[in-house]
Amino acid sequence: MKPARKKVLLVDDEPIVCERLRPALEKIGFYVESYTDGQKAVDRVMEESFDVLVTDLKMQKPDGLEVMEFVRQHSPATKVIIITGFATVDTAVETLKSGAVDFIAKPFKIRNLCDLIVKLTSEEAG
Amino acid sequence: MGVAPALRALLARRRQGNVDQLRETLNRFRALVEENDHVLELIADAGEKLGGEYVFDSKYLRDLAAQLKDAAHAVVTNLNAISQDRYPDLLEALAKIDDAVGAALECRLVVPEAPFVVSLEDVGTEQLEVVGAKMARLGEVRNRLGFTVPEGFVVTTQACREFLEAAGVGEAVEVLRAHFMQGGETLEEESRRIREAILGARVPRSIVRAIRRELGRLVRSGDGEPLLAVRSSAVDEDGELSFAGQYETVLGVPPEGVVDAYRTVVASMYAPGVMRYRRLHTIPPGCGYMAVGILRMVPARASGVIYSLDPTAPERNTLVVSAARGLGKLVVEGGASVDRVEMSRDPAYHVVARRVAHKERMFVAVSGGGAVAEPVPDAERDAPAVSDEELNELAGSARRIEQYMKAAQDIEWAFDHEGRLFVLQARPLRMAVVSEPRGRDLSDIVRRYPVLMRGRGEVACRGIGSGPVCLVTDPEQLPTEVPPGAVLVVRAATPRIGGMLAGASAVLTDLGSATGHFAAVARDLRLPTIVDTGLATRILTEGTEVTVDAEENVVYEGRVEELLRYQLSRASSFEDAAEFRTLRRMLRRIAPLRLRDPTSPAFSAANCTTYHDVIRFAHEKAICELVEIGWVSPPAGVHYVRRLELPVPLDLILVDLGGGFHVEAGSTTATPEDLTSRPLVPVLEELTTGGAWETAPASMDLEGFMSSATRPMPLTGAQAARPEQNLAFVSGEYLHLSLRLGYHFNIVDTYLGNSPADNYIYFRFAGGVTELTRRSRRAALLKRILEGHGFVAEGRGDLVVGRIKGLDADAMVERLRMVGRLIGFTRQLDIHMRNDRLVDEYVDRFMSGRPFSSATLSADEEPEDKGDSEMSTSTEVLVLDDEPMVCERLKEHLERKGYRIEVFTESQKAVDRLAEKRFDVVITDLKMQGPNGLEVLRFVRDSGFGTQVIVITGYGTMDAAREAEYSGAFEFITKPFSSKALETTVRKAARKARKAKERTQR
Repeated sequence: MKPARKKVLLVDDEPIVCERLRPALEKIGFYVESYTDGQKAVDRVMEESFDVLVTDLKMQKPDGLEVMEFVRQHSPATKVIIITGFATVDTAVETLKSGAVDFIAKPFKIRNLCDLIVKLTSEEAG
Repeated sequence: MGVAPALRALLARRRQGNVDQLRETLNRFRALVEENDHVLELIADAGEKLGGEYVFDSKYLRDLAAQLKDAAHAVVTNLNAISQDRYPDLLEALAKIDDAVGAALECRLVVPEAPFVVSLEDVGTEQLEVVGAKMARLGEVRNRLGFTVPEGFVVTTQACREFLEAAGVGEAVEVLRAHFMQGGETLEEESRRIREAILGARVPRSIVRAIRRELGRLVRSGDGEPLLAVRSSAVDEDGELSFAGQYETVLGVPPEGVVDAYRTVVASMYAPGVMRYRRLHTIPPGCGYMAVGILRMVPARASGVIYSLDPTAPERNTLVVSAARGLGKLVVEGGASVDRVEMSRDPAYHVVARRVAHKERMFVAVSGGGAVAEPVPDAERDAPAVSDEELNELAGSARRIEQYMKAAQDIEWAFDHEGRLFVLQARPLRMAVVSEPRGRDLSDIVRRYPVLMRGRGEVACRGIGSGPVCLVTDPEQLPTEVPPGAVLVVRAATPRIGGMLAGASAVLTDLGSATGHFAAVARDLRLPTIVDTGLATRILTEGTEVTVDAEENVVYEGRVEELLRYQLSRASSFEDAAEFRTLRRMLRRIAPLRLRDPTSPAFSAANCTTYHDVIRFAHEKAICELVEIGWVSPPAGVHYVRRLELPVPLDLILVDLGGGFHVEAGSTTATPEDLTSRPLVPVLEELTTGGAWETAPASMDLEGFMSSATRPMPLTGAQAARPEQNLAFVSGEYLHLSLRLGYHFNIVDTYLGNSPADNYIYFRFAGGVTELTRRSRRAALLKRILEGHGFVAEGRGDLVVGRIKGLDADAMVERLRMVGRLIGFTRQLDIHMRNDRLVDEYVDRFMSGRPFSSATLSADEEPEDKGDSEMSTSTEVLVLDDEPMVCERLKEHLERKGYRIEVFTESQKAVDRLAEKRFDVVITDLKMQGPNGLEVLRFVRDSGFGTQVIVITGYGTMDAAREAEYSGAFEFITKPFSSKALETTVRKAARKARKAKERTQR
């Protein structure tokens, strides 16, 4: 029997980020939902549990930190990856302290993010 | 101000001994070089982003534009500081580029300079912005793929701009645009007014004249008055978004109606449907212009559309043909009475399903203009519009265009009454439904295929391609073209191969980088490409069918149909995205380098049209400033400028910034003994004593070098005026060295003091006039060598920059010696880098300190001590070569040096002799009758006397030579070799043999 697909939730207010990542992740076997509006993502977290949340940092309310905070409260098993174009050491440290498992600066290689997600979800499986 | 007064002013300043001023100039120069490198890095990075491997957003684009602007301005500011504001034009050029990049970023109107009309014969995708997407593709199909397309010409975007200006709609367009950008919905009223203004405007006379002239040609070339198709070809159609059917096309136009039809087509830019489409795809109006194709109408017996893949059911793997009698109007407009045929996509193209329509009428063009429906003769009403042979030809053509365009195609076609196939239009097919297996299903399916390579190298352009392997291991023997659809597998990602990629379906390379020239070419062609795999040429064999997934970075054996269909049927490719289109537009104003030849009169500030041009120009001129300042003949009495006397033909002018050398007043020259600059001494020692100056390979000896130095040639980094001039700014601890050696340009900037924290070395190498292939090979090589010595090295195309810092004095001296050696080494590379395999060899040799035969670098060469001559007299050498001439020469030369020589021309005899007598050194050819060189080598090795073997080889036998090395040869020497290099090698071999002998005797 096939194991269930791992679920990834993508949040980025730049549509292109979702448009690029979603098919790349689907191609390697993930179930993906993507939102450009943090609120919609938060709403989905109430209904569905995701294995991984990938979220942008700087967005309209709720921003990435808020989305992450919400996810951590309502779905503590979800692993959170932050992607941001405003990458500094400080923001990286801050987000990691707030509970993100990783932090990726934009622009980034699709493969790098995919590899990371694969690694995170297989760790979980193992 | 002319050059002379500027020089005088500078000289006067220097005579006052204004070393501070000089230092300031030098600091400016260093800043310029740094910013120059920064721009190059940004350009290379941005180019890499087009390959699809990266996710980036609009913020990245804004940051990129801002960073480029800052860096380019810094370069120009520094140049003007160095040159006393000699280049005000450059600031103007820069401002224009800033504008153009800004416009691209904001998606504003930019139209390249072009004539009002261009013939379709001269059109390709590179003129996209001049002729619009539709005509660019049609030109490509005609001129690159050799299909028949209707005769005709294109009224360019330049003409459109002129026309819209005359129509006075500019302001209204801006209003509309602003409205759109703010998300305004009620655009209909505004766009209607613009449309009407255009329709009511007069087409400027100059455009009308240009159109008439081309029409005249069309009329003369055919019999009778032609009927024309006037087709839209907007620049908005950039990327894959096709605005299919949104713009107007007017058919059956007589010559006198062309101008009116032109107006109608241009006005359709603002048609209501277009505005809705723009809203849907977030393409603001005013982003482009409308070019218009004016083509002779094909007197069609049958016409229609072919989809190279069924967009509604891609998994069925079929082509779909719609065909009608007469003009294709019915098909395109979706009318009834159209045959529909489904065919397999495999080259047999057999018919899978066919529905022949009952055709009561067909459209034909009428001479008065337009197309009218005519009845189809009763007997033919139920006959298929096209024959099976014609279907086959259509299918093959569609697959070929698809292959070339890297996407499923939607092609309009026609057969004339002679049965000739015309391609009327080809565009990427929009997939209506994606019903392919995705996600887990796809990855499960794909898992069934054997993997040949996974995770090796770097993806230079994303995509999936499949075909038989076309293996190219020797770049000197490139096939004239890659078989269409082949997967090209090459050793190095060289630009020369870049020229032959067009027909390939994917590319794999052993070496290379995703930021190189080659990668850029691959991206231009949108060719799935993985570079730097390290082993592709070794594990893939000619003719094997493979599938390259340049997304997951996997190469499968066989055709993975599921992946290929996934690729073709994807809802959209990444290049469609607005961000990609914007980046591509921006890069057209940033990356191309048009000013290549500094000796050309066109090498001027005013001709800089991209940031790349600007920095190249500024860098060039800055070096000229430094060099031209007047060190040429150091004026007597100026104590700090001297010409350095060296035993090698290196013309080096020293400028002392304090403590760099000491000489008596009145002298104009200095000798190496006079030098007190700590960093200069080790660099020069290696540079002047190494093998760089002693070789005399056939293609470029010292004379050749000197003459090449005075011949006018396009240099990239060096100055044109005094190419032989080299400069060193020195102090006790500091060195800035600018060298032009042979065909390339080195800069070393370094500080060597007592505190490791202050110490650094900056090494910069820029390839010169050499053909690009060798250049990029060299760059890869240098990068690896620098990294091997602990430098942080960046290689971008033909530029390599290495930096290292924080070393103590000993480590610095060691690195500086390496740098000196490396500079000499690079001089060799111009000559030796003929073969990509040599890259590995050279790196190994350089790193291990073992010189490459004649290219002796003397890394670890001990000084020539007295013991050597004594040693040589007792050294026994056996020479084996089946050419008596070679033997004679070697014997004569080595005997003169005091060696004892025995010569053999037959290998069996030599082996017999080796069995009875111990020799210190054996020099042997590789290819001979009887036991060959390798066998001789193994024999000697196995005999265990410590005898050292030197193998002689030509360039063609490098593999054998490599094997020889593995078999334990001491060294191999490539023909032709200099006697001095030979002597050096023999001496070292003898020394090693002696040591080995001592060991065995102990």
